[in-house]
Amino acid sequence: MTPDRAHLERLDRIWRDPPGLWGFLTTVDHKRIAARYIVTALLLMFLAGMLALDMRWQLSVPENTRMTPQLFNESFSLHGSTMLFLVSVPIMEAMALWLVPLMLGARNMAFPRLGAFSFWLYFGGVLTLWIAHAIDVTPDLGWFEYPPLSGPAYSPGHRADIWAQMITFTEVAALAASVNVAATILKMRPPGMTLARMPVFLWAMLIASIMTILSMPAIMLVTSMLISDRLVSTQFFSVAAGGDNVLFQHLFWFFGHPEVYIIFVPATGFISSIIETFSRRPLFGHSALVLAILSIGALAFGLWVHHMFAVGLPRLGNDFYTAASMAIAVPAGLQIFCWTASIWAGPTTFPTPMLWVLGFLATFVIGGLSGVMTASAALDLQLTDTYFIVAHLHYVLVGGAMFPLFGAFCYWYPKATGRLMSERWGRLAFALIVGGFNLGFFPMHILGLMGMPRRVYTYPAGMGWETLNQVATAGSVIAVAGGMVFVANALWSYWRGKPSGADPWGGSTLEWASASPPPAWNIAFTPVVESLTPMWNDGRPLKAMDGLENDRREVLITSVTGGGPLYRQKSAAPSIWPLVAALAVSAMFIASIFTPWAIPAGALPIGAALTGWFWPNRPRAKIGPFEAKP
Amino acid sequence: MRRCLASLPVVLLGGCAGNQSPLAPASDQAFALHSLFVLMMVVCGGVYLLVIAGVVWSLLSARSRRGTNTVPASERGLGRGLYVAAAAIVIGLTVLIVGSFLADRALVAARSEAAMIVRVTGHQWWWRIEYRDPASGRWIETANELHLPVGRTARVELASADVIHSFWVPNVSGKIDMIPGRRNIVDLTPRRLGWFRGQCAEFCGTQHAHMAFDIKVDSQADFDAWLARQNAVVEAAVSNTSSRGAAVFQRVCGSCHSVRGTPAAGRAGPDLTHFADRRSIAAGTLPMSRGAIQGWLAQPQALKPGTSMPAVPLLPADADAVASYLETMR
Amino acid sequence: MGAPLLILTALAACSNEAREVGPSLPQTPPVGNMDPRIAAYRANLYQVSQGGRYFTWYGCSSCHGDGAPGAANLADGRWQHGGGFADVYRAIAAHRPEPSYAGTIPVEQLWQVTAYVRDLPTHYPEKRRRVSLDQKGEPQGSRWSGPQ
Repeated sequence: MTPDRAHLERLDRIWRDPPGLWGFLTTVDHKRIAARYIVTALLLMFLAGMLALDMRWQLSVPENTRMTPQLFNESFSLHGSTMLFLVSVPIMEAMALWLVPLMLGARNMAFPRLGAFSFWLYFGGVLTLWIAHAIDVTPDLGWFEYPPLSGPAYSPGHRADIWAQMITFTEVAALAASVNVAATILKMRPPGMTLARMPVFLWAMLIASIMTILSMPAIMLVTSMLISDRLVSTQFFSVAAGGDNVLFQHLFWFFGHPEVYIIFVPATGFISSIIETFSRRPLFGHSALVLAILSIGALAFGLWVHHMFAVGLPRLGNDFYTAASMAIAVPAGLQIFCWTASIWAGPTTFPTPMLWVLGFLATFVIGGLSGVMTASAALDLQLTDTYFIVAHLHYVLVGGAMFPLFGAFCYWYPKATGRLMSERWGRLAFALIVGGFNLGFFPMHILGLMGMPRRVYTYPAGMGWETLNQVATAGSVIAVAGGMVFVANALWSYWRGKPSGADPWGGSTLEWASASPPPAWNIAFTPVVESLTPMWNDGRPLKAMDGLENDRREVLITSVTGGGPLYRQKSAAPSIWPLVAALAVSAMFIASIFTPWAIPAGALPIGAALTGWFWPNRPRAKIGPFEAKP
Repeated sequence: MRRCLASLPVVLLGGCAGNQSPLAPASDQAFALHSLFVLMMVVCGGVYLLVIAGVVWSLLSARSRRGTNTVPASERGLGRGLYVAAAAIVIGLTVLIVGSFLADRALVAARSEAAMIVRVTGHQWWWRIEYRDPASGRWIETANELHLPVGRTARVELASADVIHSFWVPNVSGKIDMIPGRRNIVDLTPRRLGWFRGQCAEFCGTQHAHMAFDIKVDSQADFDAWLARQNAVVEAAVSNTSSRGAAVFQRVCGSCHSVRGTPAAGRAGPDLTHFADRRSIAAGTLPMSRGAIQGWLAQPQALKPGTSMPAVPLLPADADAVASYLETMR
Repeated sequence: MGAPLLILTALAACSNEAREVGPSLPQTPPVGNMDPRIAAYRANLYQVSQGGRYFTWYGCSSCHGDGAPGAANLADGRWQHGGGFADVYRAIAAHRPEPSYAGTIPVEQLWQVTAYVRDLPTHYPEKRRRVSLDQKGEPQGSRWSGPQ
């Protein structure tokens, strides 16, 4: 089916954003919102990386006085909080926000304004933390601030409250984004895309979203309890009054462990998509991969105590969590097998995205294996809170999430911009980043085994730690240099890259059916899916159907399991209400750092904003309930 | 370092072991953990090599398939491979889980023979150490240095006075958190004489990096002699300098520090009875020496910024006298 | 995003959150209530909190606890010897009844205790009680025998 010009022009008129600043503030186009998320997250990744280099320089020399302990403590706290709350989870959400409608052949997300709201709220969280840093009120107790150190007695002032409230921002934003992604994947699939024909990427994003929804409340609860202890003198974490410090740890890690899998699971989606395309054949072990992601999603909620093995909890419980933590290596290991088998089975080529897949395989498996070592409750008593754990967490997060993310970036860059990134500079960036990272972080395993604890701003001379620390610094510098090359490549290619066309790689999934870059309405018709690889479709041409109006914004809603069309749903037009609501919520969150009265006072503007948002914009239907006539 | 063969890591890493390392075990507990570590390295190292071999093989196979019209690879063969991989992973993990369980049992095996009780309390940023005197039932207090007799199990009771700390002497024991409101217990059975170093392993504030302590494993006779000396009160100052130093000390330092046998009975700071016997000062921050003592007294905030120990402006003669007095406290 | 900007900019105006650690603490008593060094202590949350800790460690709360009678009540905002920073400092240093603290509490810590004592009238009693609950394990004067 070839769309005629008139059809496309009408679509464009209906779906494009208003021009200028107003369009910028009111857009509900998932692609624009996702782009903002990604640009912000990449900028924050750079800033966090600079903090990391600062710390590495400080640690290159024993008893270094370049950084005061206060500055160092602020640096590692800011680095960790930024990377985990403001970069990793949001950037995965952003990739979902950008790709899910395209991969579903849909015009927009299920809740367009909710997507905009989630970005503005996330941005509020970014500003909360980083403006606080700019005015020297940086939180300085790490990225998980255990009481009583973070309680009212030992952390005077508002630093801990700023940290806790930043989390509230980002978690509400994450909840909004996850609900959006999950609803879209479940209810807006193209006709014919049954759950069995859903690509692994979409499974990964669906599971990650559900995990987010189930785990975020725990951390919102616990950070609110901490603020409440500090602000209105409740006694949740006060032992002398019958509270318990360990409660904080349990609630935090009940969220904290699933969070790292929330970061990893979308990466499995990236890897699956990239391997399938470049191995030129359907992924081996599709069912195994999907089941593995499901089991990781479920198991991840039963592991959190492995962050607390040194707390002195009952031993038999610790042994249970050892077994559970090791068990999660089974689905992860099977995924590695399936991906390697897919590479083996096809005439796989290795442009830059596939290089990142190889980097991921080599690096993440080290992280996974060091994780198996720390999963042992007994051995963890030697390894936790040392540089061994620092090495482990970076190997799994950087190797397991960042490398797939960089690969995904190179892979989908042509779709987003219409241009290809330079292969040569891409290979150089890959070599610098992967090589530099391994050079920088592998020695940390050894440092931990030599007794170097983490979160220390300096260490004594004569411990034998100097050389490895210097190697770690050198590696980190190389990796950051590689990151600069990567960004430079992306920027340069935006204007000078080779035009890519709609489908430069010959991809297997539906996002390659739209133009590059996709227009505001994504795709002219609704594709009909007949296989797991709809763009290849076993050699048959891709079928499409029509029926969505082009004089108003509409999306197609389909059934959850079978993907059969159910009805057409009006899709929200650009609106200022998400921004207004986000401003109201931000004001309430920030003010509640200082006074509890902000909560009732803030409820009024929020109520007003939500009223504006949900104000009905069509009259009540005049027809009665739908009756099926015999 | 990535070319780990089965035995290589143990050999190589043994060379990195020091007096604050789990790779140079000096107690029953640390030996159990070291054995578990070796098992882990063998299994995990082997798995990693298998994975890399698999990836390399798949690269070569992919290259050979490129540009040809060969029949696509058999799905059934790969399917069988999947089951084999699953079985291998489960078996490997089972081995490690059993190993971990056995090591965990070994950590508490000494419990029934616990005889000597030591209480370690974490403060920001130093360690209060108290030995239970079996004869009198009183607590003999010292700070920042732990002595243990070889071959005998010591039961260490861990508490915290302020925030969460963690007791960690890698050569002797894994870390156990010291949590306000909880009393954690760890049993240590040292097997090797020597000096080791421990460090706080849970971020506890500004000077977490400088909260370390020395641990000395003595023969039973040496340990008994040391404990008896700790129990004895300080002898009265003899020389003029040290008696002047004693007077300044009572006046200026006595409200925070205690020295048994003198009026100084402050509880806020470390006990300084027999201070000169110790190997380091300020919780492992500086080695014990006259220069270090004087530097610490003159400007603690320069050496350990954020510490609760204040700089006390003293006349040079008074400062000298106090340092001399401290040096007499053996 | 103006709201966060506004409020946090307001925070910048006061340096109450500043946390200076290092050898920059004053070593001599304040000279009069206009001593420029007082600015870093007056309402600085970190110094006040440190002073609160020393208040506990030196056992001051045994006489000057919540609800102490008459002049011993430091939270009622009535200053017998003047309410300026240097006045309160002198009152602590030349403390009556004995002991006078000038010789036993070092100057650095006296500054911090003074900052705390002067700040006491602005503290909510619930907050003070909550902080003291967390500090139950701390040394409380010379009669302390261990946490809990």
